[in-house]
Amino acid sequence: MMNSMSVPSKRSTLERKLDKLILTLFGGLFFMCLIGAIGSGVFINRKYYYLGLFEDVEQQFNPSNRFVVSILTMFTLITLYSTIIPISLYVSIEMIKFIQCAQFINKDLRMYHAETNTPALARTSNLNEELGQVEYIFSDKTGTLTRNLMEFFKCSIGGVSYGVGITEIERGQAQREGRALNEIQKSDTVVYEKGFNFDDDRIMRGAWRNERDPEIFKEFFRCLALCHTVLPEGDESPEKIVYQAASPDEAALVTAAKHFGFFFYRRTPTTVQLRESHVEKMGNIQDVSYEILNVLEFNSTRKRQSVVCRYPNGRLVLYCKGADNVIYERLAGTNQDIKRLTREHLEQFGSSGLRTLCLAYRDLTIDTYENWNEKFVQAKSSLRDREKKLDEVAEMIEKDLILIGSTAIEDKLQEGVPDCIDTLSRAGIKIWVLTGDKMETAINIAYACNLINNDMKQLIITSETDAIREAEEKGDPVEISRVIRDSVSHDLKRCLEEAQQDLHIFGQKLALVIDGKCLMYALDPSFRVDLLKLSLNCSSVVCCRVSPLQKAQVTSLVKKGARRITLSIGDGANDVSMIQAAHVGVGISGLEGMQAVMASDFAIAQFRFLKDLLLVHGRWSYIRLCKVITYFFYKNLTFTLTQFWFTFHTGFSGQRFYDDWFQSLYNVIFTALPVIILGLFDKDVSASLAKKYPQLYKEGIRNTYFKWAVVGVWAFFAFYQSLIFYYFTTTASENGHNSSGKIFGLWDVSTMAFTCVVITVNLRLLMACNSITRWHHLSISGSILAWFVFIFIYSGVMTPNDRQENVYFTIYVLMSTFYFYLTLLLVPIVALFGDFLYLGLQRWFFPYNYQIVQEIHRDEVDSISRTEFLEIGNHLTPDEARSYAIAQLPREKSKHTGFAFDSPGYESFFASQAGVYVPQKAWDVARRASVRSSKRTSQR
Amino acid sequence: MEMEAGCTSASSGGTQVHYHPPLQSRAFYKFTQQNLPACRPQLTPAWVIAIFLVTGVLFIPIGLVCLRASESVVEIVERYDVECVPETYRSNKVAYIKNSLITKKCDRLIKVQKHMKAPIYVYYELDNYYQNHRRYVKSRCDKQLLHGLEYKHTSSCKPEEYNGGLPIVPCGLVAWSLFNDSYTFVRETVEMKVNRKNIAWVSDQQHKFGRNVYPFNFQNGSLIGGGNLDPDVPLSEQEDLIVWMRTAALPKFRKLYGVIEEDLVADDSLEVHILNNYNTYSFGGKKKLILTTQNWLGGKNSFLGIACMVTGIICVFLAIAFALLHVKFPRPQGDPTLLYWNMKNNIS
Repeated sequence: MMNSMSVPSKRSTLERKLDKLILTLFGGLFFMCLIGAIGSGVFINRKYYYLGLFEDVEQQFNPSNRFVVSILTMFTLITLYSTIIPISLYVSIEMIKFIQCAQFINKDLRMYHAETNTPALARTSNLNEELGQVEYIFSDKTGTLTRNLMEFFKCSIGGVSYGVGITEIERGQAQREGRALNEIQKSDTVVYEKGFNFDDDRIMRGAWRNERDPEIFKEFFRCLALCHTVLPEGDESPEKIVYQAASPDEAALVTAAKHFGFFFYRRTPTTVQLRESHVEKMGNIQDVSYEILNVLEFNSTRKRQSVVCRYPNGRLVLYCKGADNVIYERLAGTNQDIKRLTREHLEQFGSSGLRTLCLAYRDLTIDTYENWNEKFVQAKSSLRDREKKLDEVAEMIEKDLILIGSTAIEDKLQEGVPDCIDTLSRAGIKIWVLTGDKMETAINIAYACNLINNDMKQLIITSETDAIREAEEKGDPVEISRVIRDSVSHDLKRCLEEAQQDLHIFGQKLALVIDGKCLMYALDPSFRVDLLKLSLNCSSVVCCRVSPLQKAQVTSLVKKGARRITLSIGDGANDVSMIQAAHVGVGISGLEGMQAVMASDFAIAQFRFLKDLLLVHGRWSYIRLCKVITYFFYKNLTFTLTQFWFTFHTGFSGQRFYDDWFQSLYNVIFTALPVIILGLFDKDVSASLAKKYPQLYKEGIRNTYFKWAVVGVWAFFAFYQSLIFYYFTTTASENGHNSSGKIFGLWDVSTMAFTCVVITVNLRLLMACNSITRWHHLSISGSILAWFVFIFIYSGVMTPNDRQENVYFTIYVLMSTFYFYLTLLLVPIVALFGDFLYLGLQRWFFPYNYQIVQEIHRDEVDSISRTEFLEIGNHLTPDEARSYAIAQLPREKSKHTGFAFDSPGYESFFASQAGVYVPQKAWDVARRASVRSSKRTSQR
Repeated sequence: MEMEAGCTSASSGGTQVHYHPPLQSRAFYKFTQQNLPACRPQLTPAWVIAIFLVTGVLFIPIGLVCLRASESVVEIVERYDVECVPETYRSNKVAYIKNSLITKKCDRLIKVQKHMKAPIYVYYELDNYYQNHRRYVKSRCDKQLLHGLEYKHTSSCKPEEYNGGLPIVPCGLVAWSLFNDSYTFVRETVEMKVNRKNIAWVSDQQHKFGRNVYPFNFQNGSLIGGGNLDPDVPLSEQEDLIVWMRTAALPKFRKLYGVIEEDLVADDSLEVHILNNYNTYSFGGKKKLILTTQNWLGGKNSFLGIACMVTGIICVFLAIAFALLHVKFPRPQGDPTLLYWNMKNNIS
């Protein structure tokens, strides 16, 4: 409950900015009305006797009270100019967004995960364009970046590195540097099991016996098989056994030992039993029982684990595995070669994102052991400071170790993660990892994901320092908090200084690593600014050991403090608050429950789909909506301004230039459809190019397409065009227009002007398009045609109701003159002349990046999209295709039925019946909140 | 319009799809995958130049033709609102026009400069006259004009709806303020015939003004707004009313008065007898009499022609300027160094 937050209702930043634009338009409307109102007060005069302004004239035209005239005219003008406010814009936007979600995002095959049969899911249609402007991504680690699957991947034994696998990160590096990796085909007999993904012909299937020094291999394998706290379960055969381990790493190591021929199958309180393949003869196996004398357990200060065991032949050995720095401190001074080589290998493994452990052993004499054991037993039975004493005793025996080698375990990343992160960061998106894991793990994953590399300077703010540890041991909470506070404040200042120096002087990239305890203090209002400043300077930030609430706090720190657009992605219940806090929440659907998905705005099956979601869908949505909004703005402004110019020539009386129906249907029929088509189909570059040039995404982050300057340009051309429409049609209409010498009236001129407006505005849309499908042609010609059909009918009939027969026959009268056709040719071209010149010059001299990309791929655009298309078509097998089709079928929506048995508390219900206490989980509350929110969104 | 021409490549419709989900037509599949065949026009300098050139080449001849047509029209404009007021009333023209005892007759002499071929159209032009004022525009009743006294809902005609308790036909300010100056033309003592029929649009005459509707109780009020109508002639035949009631778009407008069916030769002098009845003096409006010939494009109005010419010339000029610019400082198409991320590398 403490970690859950109230469910926010999310609106996109673009829409917020749109509100400002609408507000500006209201300002403009008011201004125009004010001018008109003042004008009308000044104009009205009895001298215009033909207006019938007698003594008893109504207030609106009463020259004796000009003030009232102004006020009343103001209201008239507000209704007259109300077209400047694009009311239908909101409807159109909703429609466009809905289709974008339901048809494009949900049905995109590029975001369809065949293995789990999950398509992407947009749970709200509010935030499509927000996806095109994301600058910060906050990602959970486990389940999102990684699969929480540890695999024994490589090892270094006796100074030789084994294992032919290639990690994603190595592959990525090679790709970037353009060198080919000689990927060794794995042999056909390769065994693959959960936790073991290793192949090397030199040691597999007993081949290690032929290596230079088989003895050290034996030590290596025995160390793996003996030095652990794993419990075997199930049938005692290599195929069926299941290892229960505190961490998946341990299980992976024991599994590895099994595959190397040292099968750990039984643990008794004092022994560990291994089924070893015979040391000398291949194929023979023998069961060996090792007596475990002492277990020196792992903890975060010791960073190592040891066992003392007795061989059946009486040999006493201490096996130790742990972090490289603690092991290296405790090595005997011999055999520098192995040390050096192993260190090299450790560095290699580390930079390819693998988790390493060093293995070492020490032969003990009986005397040494007996001596030590006494002290150990004493320490173990002491009542005060037992942990500390045990640690001290352990120090005494864990020395003079002999290095065997090291293991490298791959924390299996989700497919395509490093590539995706690399692409996203090239797109200008900064990715922060927020994880509950330990600092080492977090840094390791950051390496594996390419977030941190060795060129970056790491700034670490941790609570694992001696001063803090000391304070914690004293146990005084006030003192602890003071010490941490001071150290955090000190660290922040120091890092900030370093950051500024490194960033500006050396241009080095920075990475910040901070742990949850420090974060708690750093998020304090007094340090918040420093933290923000520091973290915005860093290209990647890793927060480890953070609580769900802190995840949300960090998210809102950036969201509110930096006013950047944030996206949170996570899969588990502990990510719910973070997902809700960010501008856009993305849930990983599939494995770990539904809580995150229920709280999210978009759900995807894999982290790598983020690339498509942001770079393709988000970017397109953003560009499309910007175009839709600015175009709407333009077309209404143009239309209203012609009306406005007319007002000046009517004595500011508020006379309509256009017939009522023209005005009402302008937005509804004559210009409605093409802009929706634009909002759905416009593509500046194809999906594959958008991913190939992720930098294009930056235009969204910078909001290039919806700046005031852009709106200003549209406004300028709206102004220009309205002048053209009004003055060209009126000026040219002053005298007779055919050989019969008859004269046009007001409604003839306005019908002419309206025809020009409809045609021009529709053609302008075509100029704004980057790709023109046949739907564009259909909708634009359809709109223009609709106008003509309408006016032919409307001006052709006399209605029986009381209506001013204003436009009766106007279009036929107009069409009987050459003037009509000439104006129809001239006015749209002159009106679009300005826009065309602007577009031409802009593209020529200040091209947008996407325009250059268009030019580079000018001729190949379609072929690329075709091959890509084929790939998508091909990679689905018939089975997958079928399941995809099923996934696309309308699903029965599970509605909340009110049935309470599936309430999240049921586990604890049974547990409490059985007398076991199960604490209620924080995410249960969060889930209920998110169910509510999802209902709300679905009602929209 | 321009952009269509800019299409560079259109994808072939025959894209081979190995697999597409059942239940969905191929087109719909392409739609959801956002892969509809499209043409992607790019406004390259070449296209800009070409389009400007084409537009220019198109418009210059059109402009020339229009200008020529406009030039061939002979037009005589005679302003008479000031001249027709006797000297004594020049300082108070309103008193003159309102005084019904003073004769409003006024003779003007017009010299014909060029040969004018029949038909010659006679217009009057008013200035500063807001026929498009909201109060004025709506003060009419189209139904009444068509159906006459049968039609009772004439509230839109206020304040000229009733007079002495009786409805007015035609009601409303527009009809009330009917223009009533009249002109007779005398050439060498022979009065020329001015045809005042067929001056209104046929659609108005046939469908908007009733054949059986006669003026009733018109111009009987204490205030006379303008001309009177012959109560024995149906509205559909009162063409000057019909012309007047097609309200003008701008405060300066011309309306057709009649047609002279004889040629006027150069150096002819016409004597115009004007009945200067209509009051434009209250609001300082000008009155003009216009004699003009017409051609296929209408009267003398060089605006369209000049607009076309100017547009055409600017386009050609821009095309040339851009072509020179293109030759001198070409921007290589698709130059990757122009991408901002590449530029940054160059600088650092």
